[in-house]
Amino acid sequence: MNIINVHQLHKQFKVSKHRRGMWGAVRNLVSQDYQLVEAVDHIDFQIGPGELVGYLGPNGAGKSTTIKMLAGLLVPTGGILEVNGRVPWRERQAHVAEIGAVFGQRTTLWWDLPVIESLALLKHIYKIPEARFQHNLAEFTDMLALAPFLNTPVRSLSLGQRMRADICAALLHEPKILFLDEPTIGLDVVAKERIRQFIKQVNQARGVTVILTTHDLQDVEKLCERVMIIDRGRLLFDGQLKSLRDRFGGRREMIVDFTESYPDVAVEGAQLIAHDGVRATYQFERDELTASTLIGRISSRYRIRDLTVRETEIEETIRRIYEKGLLES
Amino acid sequence: MRLFFELTKQSIRRHLTYRAATLAGLVTNFVFGLMRVAVLVALYGEAQEVEGITVSGIITYACLSQAVIAYLSMFGWYELMNSVYTGEVAADLLKPMNYFSYWMAQDLGRAIVNLLLRGVLLMVLFSFMFELDTPQTAIQWLALPMAIILGWLLSFSWRFLINLAAFWTPNAVGFGRFGFVLSWFFSGFLMPLRLFPDWTVDLANLTPFPHMLNTVVELYIGVLSGAALAQALLMQLLWVLGLILLGQLLMKAAVRRLVILGG
Ligand SMILES: Nc1ncnc2c1ncn2[C@@H]1O[C@H](COP(=O)(O)OP(=O)(O)OP(=O)(O)O)[C@@H](O)[C@H]1O
Ligand SMILES: [Mg+2]
Repeated sequence: MNIINVHQLHKQFKVSKHRRGMWGAVRNLVSQDYQLVEAVDHIDFQIGPGELVGYLGPNGAGKSTTIKMLAGLLVPTGGILEVNGRVPWRERQAHVAEIGAVFGQRTTLWWDLPVIESLALLKHIYKIPEARFQHNLAEFTDMLALAPFLNTPVRSLSLGQRMRADICAALLHEPKILFLDEPTIGLDVVAKERIRQFIKQVNQARGVTVILTTHDLQDVEKLCERVMIIDRGRLLFDGQLKSLRDRFGGRREMIVDFTESYPDVAVEGAQLIAHDGVRATYQFERDELTASTLIGRISSRYRIRDLTVRETEIEETIRRIYEKGLLES
Repeated sequence: MRLFFELTKQSIRRHLTYRAATLAGLVTNFVFGLMRVAVLVALYGEAQEVEGITVSGIITYACLSQAVIAYLSMFGWYELMNSVYTGEVAADLLKPMNYFSYWMAQDLGRAIVNLLLRGVLLMVLFSFMFELDTPQTAIQWLALPMAIILGWLLSFSWRFLINLAAFWTPNAVGFGRFGFVLSWFFSGFLMPLRLFPDWTVDLANLTPFPHMLNTVVELYIGVLSGAALAQALLMQLLWVLGLILLGQLLMKAAVRRLVILGG
C-alpha cells in the first residue's frame, strides 16, 4: 500500500511577460502576454509508508513545487495526486491534519509569539490531547535541544534555532508524513548533524514517512536510501542511492604505493593521473574495468606495497548528472 | 471554539503591546473629533434640529465617528492581503483550521482592544468636553452591544472579502483602498446618512455599509427605536450572514488559485 501516489502530475505556471518601455506599459494594460512555465512536467512516483526519500535537483528544478502540491498548498494543473488516500487540495483541512511540513525558507510559527506559545496554539489547532502533547514536547525538546529558547519570540531566533522549532512544530501532532523542503539550508555543521539525527530518529522510531529536498548531499548520504532526481520538471532518476552511484559513479580512483620507485608505471585500461616517487594514482571507468583486474595488471609488472580504491563522492556524481544531463535519454 | 478563544486571547495580548501607536491614534482621533464638532456645529448655525438630529445629537455623532475608526479599521486593513504577498499564507493553509474563522478570531482581539482603548476611552474623554447624547431606553441600551457586535462582524466580513482580492491579482491594494473609501461614503462615516439627499440614502441602503456604522450611531443618539430598531438589527444580521457566506465561497475559490511564491 502506497502512502503517496503520483501519476502524470504536472504543474504549469503562467508568467506574465512584461513589455519594456512606454509603449510596452500601455500594451500591458490592454493585454497581458503569458509565458507558460512547466514547473513539474508529468512525473510519476509512489512512496510506501516509512520510506525516507531524498528529492534532489538543481535550482528551479521543480522540487518545491512538487512538495507544495503534496502538502495541499498548490492545485496541480493535471495528473493524479493522492496522499494518505486523499487528494490534498480537495480536502485541505483533513489532509494537513495528517501531515507535517517544514519549508526551510519560512516559518510556520507565529513571528511575535514565544516558541512555547506558538506550540501551545498548535496543540489547539491540531486538537492534540494534553498528555500526548506534553509527552511529544518533552521528547522533541530534548532531542532538538529546544530548552534554551522555548521562551524566546520566534522573530529573535537564529536560523538554526528557528529551524529546530519548526521541525518540532511539524511533528507534535504525530503526522504520518513529513515533508521537508531544505531543512538544513544555511545551517552550520553541528546544527545540520543534529537535524539529520532527529529526522533519522523519527523515521525509524516513529515510522514517519519523510520526503526531503536538499542541496546538501551529506543529508542524502546520511539519511536516504532512495533518491529521486528532478530537473526542469522531469523526473530523471528514481531508485536506490547505491544504484545511482553504481550507474553514474563514473570513474574510480586507485592509489597505489610501490615498494620502489619505477620510472614508468602506465598500464592499459587506466589513466595515470599522478605519479610522484613511489605513489601513483590511476583513474578508471567502473564499467570498463574491475578493481581486481587493474590490480592484476599492475602487480604483474610492479611490486605493490599498499593500495586504496576511492569511489567518486556522491557530490561528484550528482554534479555530473546535473551538468552533463547524463540521465537524459 | 477553544482555538478561536485562544487566538483571540493572543491577539488581544499582541494589540495591548502597541502602546505608542494606540496613544498616538487616540490623540489624533480626539483632535479630529474636536474639529468635526466645530465644523458641524457651525453648519447647524441657528438650526436646532435637522432631519431629526439635534445639535447635541450631531456633536455626539462627530465624537462617535472618531471612536469607531479604530475598532472597525475604517482607514484600511490589509493584513490578510500582505500575508498572501509575503507567502505567510502558506503557514496558515498548512494548518487544519478554517481560514475565515482564523482571521476572524484575530480581528476580534484587535477590535476588542481598540473598542475599549480607542472607542470607549475616547467617548469618556469627549464627555468631559461636551454634553453628549446617550441611548434613552433600556431597550436601546440592550440593543447597543448587539449593534456594535453585528457592526464589527459586518465590517470584518467586508474587509475579509476585499483582502481576498490578493489571491487574484498581485496589486490588490488599490482595489482595497477603493473598497474602504466606498465604505466611508455609504456607512455614514463622513456624514450621518439622514443628512444626505434621499436618493443617496436609498443607494446606501442597498449596500451593507450603513449597518456597520450608521445603525450604531443612530441607536446611540436615540433616533432609532421601536420597529425601526428591530428592523435595523435584523438587516444587520442578514447582511452579516450574507457576507460570511460569500466570504466562505470566495475563500474556497481563492485558495484553489493560490500561487505561493518563493522556495
Ligand atoms: N509562483 C510561481 N510563478 C511562476 N513560476 C514559478 C512559481 N513558482 C515556481 N515557479 C517556477 O517553477 C520552476 C520550479 O520552481 P521550484 O521552486 O519548484 O524549484 P526548486 O526545485 O524548489 O528550486 P530551488 O532548489 O531553487 O529551491 C522554476 O522555473 C520557477 O521559476
Ligand atoms: Mg525550492
